[in-house]
Amino acid sequence: MDFISNQDPQNQEMLAAIGIKTVEELFESIPKKLLLAKPQTDDGLSEFEGLQLVEKLASKNTFAQYENYLGAGAYEHHVPALVSAICSKSEFLTAYTPYQPEASQGMLQSIFEFQSVICSLTGLDAANASLYDGATACAEALLMAIRYQKRENVLVADSLHPHYQAVIRQYLRGYNSQLEQIPFLEKGELNFDALEKLCTTSTAAILIQYPNFFGGIEDIQRVSAIAKRTGALLIVCANPLVYGLYALAGELGADIAVGDGQPFGLPLQYGGPYVGYIACKQELVRQLPGRIVGETVDVEGKRGFVLTLQAREQHIRREKATSNICTNQALAALASLVGMLWYGKKGIEKLALTNYQRTAYLKQQLEQAGIETIGPEKAFFNEFIVKFSQPLELVMKRFRDHHIEPGVELERFYPQFKNCLLVAVTEAKSREQLDRYVKVAKESL
Amino acid sequence: MTETIFEKTEKDQHAYSLPKQWQELESFIPPKKLLRKESAALPEISEIDLTRHFSQLAHKNMGIDTNFYPLGSCTMKLNPRVNEVCASLPGFTRTHPLAPDHTVQGNLQVIDELLKILCEVSGMTAGSLTPNAGAQGEFVGLRMIAAYHQQRGDFQRDEILVPDSAHGTNPATATLAGFKTVPIKTNAQGDMDLDALRKAVSERTAGLMLTNPNTLGLFSSVITEITAIVHEKGGLLYYDGANMNAILYMTKPGDMGFDVMHLNLHKTFSTPHGGGGPGSGPVLCNDKLKTFLPMPRVEKDSGGAYRIVWKEVESIGNIASFHGNFAIYLRAYLYAKLHGKYGLRRIAEQSVLNANYLKVQLGNLFTIPFKQPCMHEFVVQADNYLDCGVKALDIAKRLLDYGIHAPTIYFPLIIKECMLIEPTESESKRTLDHFVAVLEKIVKEIKSSPELVKAAPHTLSVRRLDEVQAARNPILK
Repeated sequence: MDFISNQDPQNQEMLAAIGIKTVEELFESIPKKLLLAKPQTDDGLSEFEGLQLVEKLASKNTFAQYENYLGAGAYEHHVPALVSAICSKSEFLTAYTPYQPEASQGMLQSIFEFQSVICSLTGLDAANASLYDGATACAEALLMAIRYQKRENVLVADSLHPHYQAVIRQYLRGYNSQLEQIPFLEKGELNFDALEKLCTTSTAAILIQYPNFFGGIEDIQRVSAIAKRTGALLIVCANPLVYGLYALAGELGADIAVGDGQPFGLPLQYGGPYVGYIACKQELVRQLPGRIVGETVDVEGKRGFVLTLQAREQHIRREKATSNICTNQALAALASLVGMLWYGKKGIEKLALTNYQRTAYLKQQLEQAGIETIGPEKAFFNEFIVKFSQPLELVMKRFRDHHIEPGVELERFYPQFKNCLLVAVTEAKSREQLDRYVKVAKESL
Repeated sequence: MTETIFEKTEKDQHAYSLPKQWQELESFIPPKKLLRKESAALPEISEIDLTRHFSQLAHKNMGIDTNFYPLGSCTMKLNPRVNEVCASLPGFTRTHPLAPDHTVQGNLQVIDELLKILCEVSGMTAGSLTPNAGAQGEFVGLRMIAAYHQQRGDFQRDEILVPDSAHGTNPATATLAGFKTVPIKTNAQGDMDLDALRKAVSERTAGLMLTNPNTLGLFSSVITEITAIVHEKGGLLYYDGANMNAILYMTKPGDMGFDVMHLNLHKTFSTPHGGGGPGSGPVLCNDKLKTFLPMPRVEKDSGGAYRIVWKEVESIGNIASFHGNFAIYLRAYLYAKLHGKYGLRRIAEQSVLNANYLKVQLGNLFTIPFKQPCMHEFVVQADNYLDCGVKALDIAKRLLDYGIHAPTIYFPLIIKECMLIEPTESESKRTLDHFVAVLEKIVKEIKSSPELVKAAPHTLSVRRLDEVQAARNPILK
């Protein structure tokens, strides 16, 4: 099948109006040797067959049969039903980038509200309309810092998500900049002695994750103090839910806050689309990448919204743009926005707290059962490391036989953490489920 | 006057509900000194008011479902709802990106099969679905070109050639990838100036970025000469796939001589534009470059099971947090399967027929700078109304009053008072005729009551907006 409207009757009229006999005549600028023969048989599918095909593929996935304790940058949270109801509305789903603002006030205002919510959560002054994901948000923030500071070096915590680190290296390769990793200590916490030595007057910025990859909350104020001593910028990469409980990026002295909004409004969907966010202090606004929506008035003084500060962007500045980004994650940002608003002022705090409490419950139950955990005693969020005494292969098999996917094998990212799992707990886990996890874990003692 | 959601806040009202707590949970308290000092500065709003707020905002927005959107370069075709049904199947939405391979065989099969389809359509041999949009695809492609030259010990290639009609992402991406951009002139026939190209190509040329048909909607009949000129000097060819709609199963970029390219699934393959994203910009390449493709990759083992490979020595590395915009290219997969080669070819034919029909009908109203048949889009100039004080911008705004989204204006930059029009294959002749009739009406208005056009729009939720003030005095939250 196809979705073409015009059929033979209309096409004949159009050909006549153009003054040609066949549509092939319109392709004469294509050299004959490059032209492909027209397919003769219809190898397409009907809508019914197409849906059958994808339903079959979806059912080949068995992951949903397991209780999921995987985190590492993608978290299983409840997605409010309202999210898909709003995002599937024609005028949001099938709209284009709001380059004609008068016809796009719905989308523009939504983006403005997304920017506003991100500023509220992070405690910073301005945010953009979204970036692809947390990884590219980190990369763009570092490039921002390099431009603004006119300094070449950046320091990135090794306890930042390894995939994010890889994407940062990808983006920095085109620049003359030096990237150095800040090492971490036994429990995954930042090595502050090393950081003090690494941070110099040629450091454009320090980037740390909050919580770090292992779920631990760092002493960010201390990082901020080190940064300030040499005039380096502080960039904090955070799961936005963390701000429902812990200190805001702005409160901690961050200059730029980035992260991935996936925990709000977006299902796991095998890694994407998610939504990167970036927020910064006022003085850095003109270095922000991507689209920004601003408030203005129309000729009658009526309030309205437009894309603004466009002189930073690729369609105006071309090779001098702050970023090459054009299409961003707009609809995913709307989904995340609706998710954040559904919780609202009080809800986000309760949500963050119950995430913390359920994580703490599992951690304590495991420790009480004699299973080793690694990391801070109380200063964590959503995740912690569990070390098993038995070989991990056996442990994983045991959990999977009980239909539990118990956590991410940490050794694949950090070889020093042998026999360890990174375990994530959200509000999606009930007491029964958590108790069952402990029961199975005990069998692995 | 419109209110933001913050301005609708009502104390203690809320939409959320949370799973049941149990006694022990209350005993877990995080360290006090780490906690936030003040309450979250978010609105308090009930579910009905939240619902109504966004539903009302939707009424203030145009979309393909509700309006004709002849935006050149954007390919605003129908976003089929069957794609949405597919993407919301729980078998797909509940999969974690780090799930064990054997539990996501459906996902991996989608990735593997879609790449095969896209390679086939492009004349390429390998690819990656991980770039999240066209611009990211371009970045990956240029990084691969850089890796190719570096591997061969050729460290002096620091220039990327780009036609002066190129989309802004091309030079912006070249900069991001560490290259200098060298623009190449377009000639009076709307094709690349071959002499200018010959002069610009050298041992410093890493590659040439090109789209064909180009941003003027014209297919370069000398394309194989262009690619040969660049290859001869050791450079590579990058194809910007934004205009692929015109040539699906008509001709292949690989056959034209391109080495690496991206596709825009949110253009050619109908995934929804969503107000500006998410998109998907898969990269495809020939054998020269496939070893440099980003990670992760999907492989099939001897038993027929799929697995993810996370590390390859020569790969340029990761471009995304995980596998890219999976739920987006999943939609493109279904779209491609529904059409088959047969249906995709029909898209090319119909999109080009629709565009040429419109072009012929508009010949009386606007300057047509290029007389030859166009591909899926074409350029008109509204410069013949400047003496009435009316610009392309004004005509664009007046179209909005008639419920039609304006075409792309002032792009490509090299054409004065430019309007780039792309109807796509979706639209019916009736819609195209209506568009022409509306433009005829607007032209009459220009002559009889130009103020109507100059001050448009009049009938939308706002009148013309002050963009100068927005930039001078930014209010961003």
